Amino acid sequence: MRVEYINPFVESSVSVMTEVLGIDVERKEISLRSKAVPVLDVAVIVGLVGQVEGRVLFDMSKKTALNIVSKMNEEEIKEFDELAKATITELGNMITGRAVTKLSDMGYRFDVTPPAIFAGDNMEISDVELEALVVPIETSLGRIEINVALREK
Amino acid sequence: MDRPKPIGEKKDGSRFKVLIIDDSVFVVKQLTQILQSENFEVIDCADDGVVGLEKFKEHHPNIDIITLDITMPKMDGITTLEKIMEFDKKSTVIMISALGKEDLVKKSLLAGAKSYIVKPLDRKKVLERIETVLKGER
Repeated sequence: MRVEYINPFVESSVSVMTEVLGIDVERKEISLRSKAVPVLDVAVIVGLVGQVEGRVLFDMSKKTALNIVSKMNEEEIKEFDELAKATITELGNMITGRAVTKLSDMGYRFDVTPPAIFAGDNMEISDVELEALVVPIETSLGRIEINVALREK
Repeated sequence: MDRPKPIGEKKDGSRFKVLIIDDSVFVVKQLTQILQSENFEVIDCADDGVVGLEKFKEHHPNIDIITLDITMPKMDGITTLEKIMEFDKKSTVIMISALGKEDLVKKSLLAGAKSYIVKPLDRKKVLERIETVLKGER
């Protein structure tokens, strides 16, 4: 997978999280995963279809998710309920939207699927014939991993 | 000094009525709070384009503004916009999306949307856009 695909997602994660959450975020080292990847408690997945295809996954611990949800709703939220799911999904949606806009400006043509959210224990994701690039983002609310597996059709 | 007239109030003192079509309860909550803070009346919400179109027809002509998401299940925002404009080409539709792709913005405006707001939403940005769209009607 070309590294240029992941950069817009990392840049958008940093800018959207800084803007929406009003906190400092720090990008950590990128890594390549070619086998099944463990997924943290809460994961938002967005599919891309067109000239570039694949998926983008944002995952985090439940504690981090609740910290983010509370911040975005300006109230303490303790249960991972429908509003919490919608809030985390929307964060993933905004990050993906901004990244997709950047990729589109670079000349790539494709559509995105509505984001879906998964929550559970011991989850993992396998992408057949598709390597994933993972970039962790460290924040005062916890750590989020951006996991991008895309290829040109 | 008197407080300026809220953006959500018409010349005659009645309130602008808004239909929100968006599949995210978080966005619906956020938009409702922003709109109500300026005295708009959120008359209904829909979480996909199919239900959104039904609710638009049900409340028509008592809707002043429709806020419309683009990436939604069942029927996307662009198709919903086209169907709304087919029904009443004078409708005031404001697109709201995380996607700022030039082709989508152009397509929306050509199909009749009055404005296009790229998320994340903040109170100032949303109210400024709506105020511009409503210019002349307030």
